[in-house]
Amino acid sequence: MTVVQRQSPGRTARPGDAPRSGPARGSLAGRRRREALAGYAFVAPDLLGLLVFVGLPMALALGVSLYEADGFGGYTFVGLDNFRLMASDDQLWQSLRVTGTYVVAFVPLCFVVSLGLALLVRDHFPGVSGVRAALFAPNVISLVVVGIVWQFLLIDKQGMLSNVLRPVGLGDVSFLGSPGLAMVTYILISVWFFMGYNMLILLGGLKDIPREYTEAAMIDGASSWQRFRHITWPMLRPTSFFVVVNSMVGAVTGLQAFDLVYVLTRGGPANSTSTVVFYIYQQAFGFNHYGYASALTTVVVAFLVVTTGIMFVATRGGRFHAE
Amino acid sequence: MFRSDLPSPASVRPPTQLSRRSLLRGIGGGLVGATLLGATPLLSACGSDSSSGGGDAKELTFWNFYGPNPDGNPQSKWFVNLVDTWNKNNDVKIKLHYLPVTEYLGGTALQTAFSSGKGPDIFIISPGDFLRYYNGGVLTDLTPHLGADAISDFSDGVLDTRKVNDKVYGLPMEVEPLAMYYSVDAFEKAGLSEGDLPKTWDALLDVAGKLTNPKRFGVMFETAPGYYQNFTWYPFMWMGGASAIPENGKPGFNTEAVHKALGLWQDAVKSGAAPKKTKAEGGGNLPAHLGAGYCAMQQSGIWSVSQMETDAKNVKYGVFPLPVPAVGTYTTDMGGWAFVANAKGGNPKAAAKFIAWALGSTDADGVERMRQWNTVVKTNIPARTSVKDAATKAGAFEKPALKVFMEQVAPGGRGEPRYTPEVYKAISDAIQATMLNGANPAQAAADAAGKIDTFLKGYKGAPIL
Amino acid sequence: MPSDTATHALRPRPRIGVRALVAYLIAALTVAPLLWLLVTVFKPGDEVFRPGLPSRLTLDNITYVLTQIPLGRYVLNSAVVSVAVTVVALALHSMAAYALARLRFPGRQLIFSLIISTLLVSLPVILVPLFLVVKQLGLLDSYAGLILPAIFHAFGIFLLRQYYLNIPRELEEAADLDGCGYFRRWWTIVLPLSKPALASLSVLFFLANWNAFLWPLIATQDPNLRMVQVGISTLQGQYVSGWHYVLAATVVAAVPTVVAFLIGQRWLVDAIKTSGLK
Repeated sequence: MTVVQRQSPGRTARPGDAPRSGPARGSLAGRRRREALAGYAFVAPDLLGLLVFVGLPMALALGVSLYEADGFGGYTFVGLDNFRLMASDDQLWQSLRVTGTYVVAFVPLCFVVSLGLALLVRDHFPGVSGVRAALFAPNVISLVVVGIVWQFLLIDKQGMLSNVLRPVGLGDVSFLGSPGLAMVTYILISVWFFMGYNMLILLGGLKDIPREYTEAAMIDGASSWQRFRHITWPMLRPTSFFVVVNSMVGAVTGLQAFDLVYVLTRGGPANSTSTVVFYIYQQAFGFNHYGYASALTTVVVAFLVVTTGIMFVATRGGRFHAE
Repeated sequence: MFRSDLPSPASVRPPTQLSRRSLLRGIGGGLVGATLLGATPLLSACGSDSSSGGGDAKELTFWNFYGPNPDGNPQSKWFVNLVDTWNKNNDVKIKLHYLPVTEYLGGTALQTAFSSGKGPDIFIISPGDFLRYYNGGVLTDLTPHLGADAISDFSDGVLDTRKVNDKVYGLPMEVEPLAMYYSVDAFEKAGLSEGDLPKTWDALLDVAGKLTNPKRFGVMFETAPGYYQNFTWYPFMWMGGASAIPENGKPGFNTEAVHKALGLWQDAVKSGAAPKKTKAEGGGNLPAHLGAGYCAMQQSGIWSVSQMETDAKNVKYGVFPLPVPAVGTYTTDMGGWAFVANAKGGNPKAAAKFIAWALGSTDADGVERMRQWNTVVKTNIPARTSVKDAATKAGAFEKPALKVFMEQVAPGGRGEPRYTPEVYKAISDAIQATMLNGANPAQAAADAAGKIDTFLKGYKGAPIL
Repeated sequence: MPSDTATHALRPRPRIGVRALVAYLIAALTVAPLLWLLVTVFKPGDEVFRPGLPSRLTLDNITYVLTQIPLGRYVLNSAVVSVAVTVVALALHSMAAYALARLRFPGRQLIFSLIISTLLVSLPVILVPLFLVVKQLGLLDSYAGLILPAIFHAFGIFLLRQYYLNIPRELEEAADLDGCGYFRRWWTIVLPLSKPALASLSVLFFLANWNAFLWPLIATQDPNLRMVQVGISTLQGQYVSGWHYVLAATVVAAVPTVVAFLIGQRWLVDAIKTSGLK
């Protein structure tokens, strides 16, 4: 799960945080020391795990990017060759275009759909919780199952969708076999998969908007559009921001950029759905270019660090509320 | 390879295996990792039996995509019996390791295992993969374990793509030519008869068009990129006299014959007669496509005869040789998998011995074993003359479909080429771009030729055939 | 923080208007592909591509995949890994989160910032070097190799820390009076108090690991260690005419997630909603 939190590290040290002086047992210094020791001991396993399985790989990527593997256990030092190669690597640029297109299309579309659904199921009506569960249901199922099911439904000429669309003359459309259309299909399936998840987050945000505001506006005769425009939208902004950032990060680096692509299209047809992370995987595990793949990893990590930094600054340290 | 501008490290750079310590230092002693993992090498091969080579391990692993398959099909049983027979009589035991065929062909398991230094002792490869492993230095010379009679028993040419400097590095278990299959039922319903079986590319497109309807495609070629797709496309390239790499003074990939071969598949797809995506994974799966009414004609190999027998018994079909272009000579691609022994495995000598025994024994048992594989549990053309004779005597090629393969398809066939991954990838991109993305064949061929030429300039591995 | 779950009790206005009808329609369309999958699996093999309802219902496809394919093994592996990751992760994250929220020690802020800074790093991004690290640790093709890398993620630590910041300190002080050590304090006071948060996270973790595909694909070659998502992804093309088998296997793989969702729906929804809020 990649979930961005809106908590700024700078805000965590709250006054209530410090232990109040309980009944002192032993000296204060001794107590402090024991507390510190306990603190380290408690944090140590997770910290060590994160260092080995997250920190170390990130650092290692930089080191390995200076080598090239022969696929049989041997490595050769190549300096910055791997980075130089990127400029002339057509397929890298192709995969950047794929990921770019995906982000630009998926993020706004998924947001609008999710918001629409959240507004739709915000208020109570009979069966509303069932509707919410149904909208969320795709998200529970794995991306592998999702990929297989859609592949089945979208089989050329004989699939369910072709049968449904044949009467309107679209029975021969190849949803996964035509490059442009495969991309559209990938985006729409992603929206179908994630809309329920984002809807729930947005519902949480809607719930936090005090009822009185909208009621007051209603008394003043504001139309539903006006209420949305002037009350709901501004007050939902922090949640919306979170959803958008979260979708954006997920679209570039999340499992949806790999699992779904792998099962649904294997990056095809003609590399039209080969995302950056899928391309890195192919380079490493399909062609044994661990060095080149590591160089690409380094670039993506650098990109993430810079993006996070910009976001952090732009939002004044993660504070999305205008305080 | 995607980065065709860079010659493969394996072939160009000096094959020095740098010391692991120095690599670690190179990566930066200051890294957390170095401290965390102590002096253990970060990238080296691990696993006890990997780097040694020439060991005397008592158990060898054998990776394949046949057995033991949980469903216990006849081909799986053949593999299990083979290994059981060997294990009964030998100290060094073989252990089968089964991988589903899609994983073996399209997946990354084998490569990943080798790059982690855990490559299997024995495995099977197609010619398309030969150079990757040969140039990687992991194939064992099998010649010392093969008698001269065994080597000469293999039909002309079938060992060529498995040989370097006249030494045999892989022993083929079969020969698998490609042809066209057609559904008798579809032909009849479209008012076509056997006389309408297309002999030329133009006729193929024409007949395919007539056989296409809202629920069915007229003809199907493999659509997914991969070694298999390339394998099925090469005959069309060869028929016009072209080849992927410059050979015998002929020009390389950017020729009119190549443009036309790319154009044929493009036209078939553009006209709507051929699918852009197969129904199930694997364009060589006849029951799932032609057998399930997805297409009326399908390009596939001789293996499909046995597939149909087990999985689509009631579907009537026929076989005819691949159609020929207006100017050109008939040819087809003859595939087939070979057993190879890992030179860096636990006991390469024993592995080589096993392979020579399994596929090269000229005694009655050995011939019968191969007859079973080639004509009973599976349908192939046997790679060995003695086996072919025994099978013919047993009446294996009297079945109409196999008769066509024997008499019309295989003659004039050419062994599947052993291109390097770089050459394969350049061609694959050209096929995909033209077939599915509407790219201009001339442009795609020129792009690929450029990549191939750059690669060949720096290539120092074994001859590309 | 443990948000009140009675969201829909906000304003009960029970009337089935246009809005409700639209909602029903969209909900139906959303689950239609999944329902169609379910229907198809109970169809006889030769009717799979026939539109409409099955002529008869059959369990053949399900039986086949349960008996002829080592699907049970895949399911078992997934269960072992998912449960192990969930339990260990919850324990470790809870300890770490408690320390970060409540215990004072030098460097706490730095450690917390370090942990938070890994939030954006996802598996697909560090896949290649992570593979190299795990290979070097000798953990490829082992349960440990499947489990360990999946445990450590900042999200759980973060969420629990937020939760602990809001637990009244008085509760802990009772333990202080009893002279409990920090471990016992965590075990006897903090852990029981965090049940709602742990429940939310356990549903999330279980689902994420049950549905995991990429890491198990890379980290194991041994068919005996194959997890269910990798297992079903390899079925395509393996069974010659087998869409009905492939689909049956996907249903088997999806059942535990649906069950987990139905049981843990409330907590899961909490976790998701709060993830956007805190």
